[in-house]
Order: sequence, then structure tokens, then C-alpha cells
Amino acid sequence: MNQNIWVLMTGDSVALATTLILAALGALFTERTGVLNLGVEGVLLTAAISSFIAADSSGSVWVGLIVGSLAGALLAGIHAILAVVLRANQIVSGLALVIFGTGLANYLGKPYEGKTISVKLTDMTFGPLTDIPLLGPILFEQDIITYVALAAAVFSSLYLFRTRPGLEVRATGDDPATVDAQGLMVSTIRIRYTLFGGLLMGLGGSWLMLAESAAWHQAATTNGVGWIALALVVFASWRPIRLVLGAVLFGFTLQLPYTLQAENITFIPQAFLQMVPYVATLISLIALSRPGSTNALGAPKSLGVPFVRDER
Amino acid sequence: MRAPFRLQFEQRTETPRRLGVLVPLISVLAALFAGALFLLATGHSVGDTYSNMLSDGFFSSTGITDTLGLSTVLICTGIAAAFAFQMNLYNIGGEGQLYVGMIGATWFGLFFGENLPSFIMIPLVLIGGALCGAAWIAIPAWVRARLGTSEIVTTLLLTYVAASLVNHFIYRSGSYFRAPNSMFPQGRQVPDSAMLSPIGDTKMYPTFFVIVLLSLALHWVVRRTEFGYRIQVISDSPRAACYAGISARRTTVQVMLISGGLAGLGGATLIVGSFQRLDPGIVTLGYGYAGIVIAALARNNMAAVVVSGILFAGLRSGGDKLQISTDTPIHIGVMLQGAILLFALGGEAFRRYKIRIVRTPAVGSEVTA
Repeated sequence: MNQNIWVLMTGDSVALATTLILAALGALFTERTGVLNLGVEGVLLTAAISSFIAADSSGSVWVGLIVGSLAGALLAGIHAILAVVLRANQIVSGLALVIFGTGLANYLGKPYEGKTISVKLTDMTFGPLTDIPLLGPILFEQDIITYVALAAAVFSSLYLFRTRPGLEVRATGDDPATVDAQGLMVSTIRIRYTLFGGLLMGLGGSWLMLAESAAWHQAATTNGVGWIALALVVFASWRPIRLVLGAVLFGFTLQLPYTLQAENITFIPQAFLQMVPYVATLISLIALSRPGSTNALGAPKSLGVPFVRDER
Repeated sequence: MRAPFRLQFEQRTETPRRLGVLVPLISVLAALFAGALFLLATGHSVGDTYSNMLSDGFFSSTGITDTLGLSTVLICTGIAAAFAFQMNLYNIGGEGQLYVGMIGATWFGLFFGENLPSFIMIPLVLIGGALCGAAWIAIPAWVRARLGTSEIVTTLLLTYVAASLVNHFIYRSGSYFRAPNSMFPQGRQVPDSAMLSPIGDTKMYPTFFVIVLLSLALHWVVRRTEFGYRIQVISDSPRAACYAGISARRTTVQVMLISGGLAGLGGATLIVGSFQRLDPGIVTLGYGYAGIVIAALARNNMAAVVVSGILFAGLRSGGDKLQISTDTPIHIGVMLQGAILLFALGGEAFRRYKIRIVRTPAVGSEVTA
């Protein structure tokens, strides 16, 4: 293989990883407070079409990114109300969000089917740095949101493990009763980070639309990235830095079929290449599992369990 | 920074019976109301959309038979989801198990159909589809039971793999499942012996009655048999089950295999019914995902799944016909499904708790309370 294809493959992996990092970080914050939001796929789709419509009608990618992120937070807000306030079954609520979000996105996207967007998020260049062979195009020729996503992961790690509010987040997910006894409002913290998580997912979905796809293809726009993001959080044992590594790895498998096809390498049937990311995720999930306890992975201890204070 | 009021939840010791009917009913109405607001906001006629959906879905003779025809597969994926959900096993990959069930059913139909009579072929194709659906969930079931790997993610990931398989079998030239000598990639029709004819002039097939009977039978299994009792004990209290010597591991695998088999059976009913061939279009229809909503709305009650399945089939079929009758995007049907489930989930809280809004006492008095 020549050098170009390697640049293409790794560069695209880093780029594709952006959505994964943002969506998975969103899920990570949500889950760290003990709320399981399985609705990522629906949130991504709704955010994607919202950003499409906003960017296309305003002519600005930034408006698109903001509107898309807010749409993500809004949808996550539904989950927050059901899961935190009304103590509904979080799994079913998340699934309902996927169905609702997919329907909503397809409904809103109907007039835009097959149309390409008029504006696009462009790659940044860093002059001489970009010209470095091999490394330059991989590291210094991405768009701004990719760098934002990487920075967000680093900051998230510092925030969660080095600050007081971060400690509160982790404590809420592990032991809400103690947090409550400390006089903090468990439900407020959970709602806040579910919304924040939705905002990050929304940014990820908008980026997917504005930088990667540029056209609305209904559910194929995300093609299961939301589910891979959820698996990625488990894969990363709820740690932001590991999450970035995993995202680049999964990003690599996601772009593989397209790059190989573009390079006319066709001895492996396309369908099997398309399976690679899902099978790879599946195998890594199984490999990380241990018999007996799921806590070996580092899952927040009250994940998916509504907090009920003993009320007098 | 405290809100001036908070919600106080009081667990109901006994749920009034009227709430069992009222809450789902109000959920559906509330979802329709939210949908109406949404239609208005996006500039579509509420009256036209809903009246067309209702008449095409339920209140016309072709409408209701189309609905019952479509409900066959939806009830199947509904009981598939409900059967696993009731043991807190969230098989949400019914969609993929349905695809593989279709592939399997088609294979049995094509391979044996030329030589065997119809009364053997139909059960063979149905059972073949169910077995393949069960096979598709075997790995998630086994690792869930052995290693505790979340079945939610694994079953879902395999759905994407199954979708690629369906495409592979149709788009690859020279594939066994592909119609030979056809310009367009499309599936090869199964022989006549592996097909049922619709009832009269409708789109209903006799499989509808089989599936309804199967749902009632499963309802009986869950309520009245030792196996059903085991499932109840494990889902209520895994520890108690362990002390009672019930193997949660074995039951987990059994329940998941049955769940996958039911979803696969759903795929097979399509082959002996309206599809008659492996059709890649199936991956856009979302029948498996709809099963999750149907099960949740029926609160995992096998008999109630029949009702919620028919309700959803009506919404779906009425929604799909909107394309012809109005300019409203057909996706309003799926949106309403999601909305109904969201409202039903919210309503669940009112069924389980008495919810009261109380003023938060002034800061300070709370500490001494």
C-alpha cells in the first residue's frame, strides 16, 4: 500500500472519531451521574437534521452547530423528565427516544431528502505543520470541531477526576444516597448532566452532518454510530482519555469499507467490511466482560437506578 | 438555590383498576395531542392527517384488514420483546433476528419447496425462520449468562451485521437468494408450496390467527407454568431464585433464545405471507424496533401485546397511506409511536405513585424536620 492510503485511512479515522468522541462523552457524563440514556442514536439524528436545516437556511455552519446542539439537549431533556423526575424505566425511555427521534428527524428531513447543504465546515490548515509528510495531514488538517472534541475529552478527564464538581458527578453515579445526605440535590445534578450530555451528543450529530455527510440520508446518516458510542463508553470503562483511543480505533473500522472501495481493493465483499465496526465492537465488549460482576469494568454503581429518598 | 416547590411521590399500595385502563388511554390521547401541535407548527392539516390515518388504519374494510395483516409480524416482534423484557433481559435486536429469520425461512422455502407439499412446507418454513432467529441471539444470550455482557448493546450491534447479510445475499451476483436473470437485484420467489394465499380479497394471512393463538399460549405459559414461575422469581428477586436453586443462567439463555426465535418467526410469517422472497427493503421498515414499543405499551403482558400490536399496525398502515391521501410526511406515524411510548412511560409514574406538588419548607426548617 502506498503512503497516501495510510494518510487517508488514519486521517479519516481521526475525523470520524469526532462524532464518536462527542456522542460518547455525552453518554459518559450522563452515565457518570447514574442516568442511562440509550437514546443517543435518536438524539444524533435529530441534531443532524436540525443543524442541516438551521445551517442551510441561515447560511452559517455556526448557527447549524448551535441549533443542532440545542436540539440534542432538548431531546435529552425528555429523557431527564421521564428518567429522573418521573422515575420511569430508563432503558425503555431511552429506546422510546430513539424511535421518537428517528421519526422526528425523518419527518423534519422529508423536504431535504437527497439535497446537499449549501455550507460546509472546512478543514483548518496550519501552514508548515500541515506540510509535514504523513503526520501533517493526519494531525493538522482537521476541522475545528475535531480539535474541540479532543480538547473536550482532556478537559472532561481533568474535570471528572480533579475538581470538586467532578467528584460530585462521580459520587452521584456511585452513591446518590451519600450525595443526598451531603445536602446536594441528586435529581438536579442528574438533570443537569443529562442535558449537558445531550448537548455534546447534539454537537456530535451536527458535526456529522455539517462536516462529514453534507446530505441528508434519513437514518443512514448516522448508521448506528450512536449505538457504537454507547458501546465505546463501556469499552473505555467510563474514562474520557481511554474513550478517545477507542474512538480512533472504531473510527478506523468505520471508514475502512469506504477507503478500500475508493482504492479499488475489492477482494473482500463490501458487506463484510461494513460489518467490521459492529463485529469489532461486539468482540471488544465480550472480551472486556468478566463473569460475576459488571463493576469490574468500572461502571457507575447506581447506573440506571432511579434515586428514591426515603420520604417521610 | 432551591425550587419553591417539589414533587412528592407516594407509593401506591394498591393500584386502582380504573388507572390500568385510564393511563394508557390518556397517554395515547396526549401523544395524539402533542402530534397535533407538531403538525400545526409544521404547517400540515391536523384534521386531514388524523382522519385519514384513522379511516385508513381502522375504520374502513380494507383499512382494518390491512392493519390486521400488518399486525401479524408486529405482534410477533412484540411478544419477542415482551418475553425477554419481563425477565429484565432487554433484547432490542429483534430487528436483526427478524432479518435472519427471513433469510432462514427463505432458504428452507427455496431448498425444500420444490419437492414437499404445502402442509409440510409452511410449518417447516415458519420453524426454520424461528430457529435462525434463535441462532442469531445465541451469542448475546450465552455471553450475557456467562459473562454478564449487556445484551442491550450486543443484540443491537448484531442487527447491523444482519442488515449487511441481507444486502449481501441480494446484491451479490449469483447469490442463491437472488432472482436469476433479473436486471434488478431482487430476491428469488419461494415455490408455491411455501406460500400461503391471503384470506379472500384482503391482505390478511391465516398466520394472523396462529400468532394470536401463540401469544395467548405464551401468556398462559408465563402465568400458569413452572417455567413462567421461574421467570417471575428471577425477575422479582435474583437472590431468592438463587436460594431456591433456580439456575438464572440457564433460564436467561432459554428466555433469550425463545425471544430471538419469536422475532425470527415474525420474519418467516412475512415470507409465507406478503413478501414471498428475501427483500432488502425489510431493513428500512423497522418492524423489529416497533416490537419494543408494542411490548412496553402492553407492559410486557403477552395477551395485551395483541391489542397494542393491532393499535400500532393501524397507526403504521394509516400513516403509510398518508403519502397518497395528504402531503403530510409518513414519518408522523413513527413519531407518534415514539410519542405514545414516551407518554405511556410518564403515565406509568401516575399509576405507581400518588404525586403531589408540595411547597418546599423554608431553608433551615428542613434540617430540623
